[in-house]
Amino acid sequence: MLMLAAIVVLHITTIILLLVAAIDNAWWVDNSVSADLWGRWDFSNNVWHYTNLKGYPEDYLQAVQATSVLACVFTILALFVFVAQLFTLPKGMRFTFTGILQIIACLCIMTGASIYTAKLHVNDTSGGYGHCYILAWISFVLTFILALTYFILRKKKE
Amino acid sequence: MLTFLALTSVVLLGIVPEQSQAIAIYTGWERHALVGSDIRLSCSFFSWRWTSEDVTFSWTYRPDGSRDSISIFHYTGGAAYVDNKGPFRDRLEFVGNPGRRDGSILLKNLELNDNGTFTCDAKNPPDIVGRPSSVRLLVFEKVPIQAGVITGAIIGVVLGLLVLIVVIYYLMRFLVARRVFSLSVSKHGKKKKEGSQQRQIKV
Repeated sequence: MLMLAAIVVLHITTIILLLVAAIDNAWWVDNSVSADLWGRWDFSNNVWHYTNLKGYPEDYLQAVQATSVLACVFTILALFVFVAQLFTLPKGMRFTFTGILQIIACLCIMTGASIYTAKLHVNDTSGGYGHCYILAWISFVLTFILALTYFILRKKKE
Repeated sequence: MLTFLALTSVVLLGIVPEQSQAIAIYTGWERHALVGSDIRLSCSFFSWRWTSEDVTFSWTYRPDGSRDSISIFHYTGGAAYVDNKGPFRDRLEFVGNPGRRDGSILLKNLELNDNGTFTCDAKNPPDIVGRPSSVRLLVFEKVPIQAGVITGAIIGVVLGLLVLIVVIYYLMRFLVARRVFSLSVSKHGKKKKEGSQQRQIKV
């Protein structure tokens, strides 16, 4: 019972971290600039201004956008499938479908973060990675652990 | 007879009013093209009058960022006069049909400097009151990727594949179950026939 609660809490935490990483525009941070994935926030005259992203390799940026969104979708689907399988799975079987969805989510966020690291902001001299970038990699680790857990876990026999 | 003639003449005078009405000119709103390609700028008009022989078409060009317009094409009295001194010399061709109210022009071998607004003004005497219509030309070096096209395509394909795989999986399970069921029915039928044959031989 405790283990079930821990797994569900970890899964919900992963979902929240992935959603923050995908939605918040903070993959790249500079002095009073917070950019990426969807737009750019500039802080001037004590006001934040939102502008569109310009001068980025469009295809790589859109690929990172797509994989981040897909990672969120798959991990949320995995939670629903896990709850459904808790009631419908025969005793002693493994949660394979949930594990598959979770590993796909893991692959998606890994692909997205890797493309971002390799192809975007390669020649920028100032600025660094923001909290969304860090959360994306943390979510990669968490989704991987969860996927392994679902592949190994068996439903109780009694 | 006379009254009939009088009546028809009054009716005809009523249908065809003497004062001219507004002419409506149609061009596109915006046109996109690549450097080096050709583009056809269409211009047509709507008028309550028949197309007159003195119909005229004029095209003027205003470059992006400039306030001056330059005349580049004029059709009048059955003859087309194209630009032979300005920015479009040897690149402009008249491809319209004035009899069909079409005053379209063809711009060949586009350059980046051709970005600007093209205005078409058509007159169909006595229908001359109207507003000229403008079309904006945008010339690109390469086709720009629109925002979100690749994103949407990747998301759509992956989710579509997921739905397809799940549907096929459940369909295969359902079909396999049905085949097992139909096998047992045919065996049961064969046994019945054999039983009836044996009974006939005995008798």
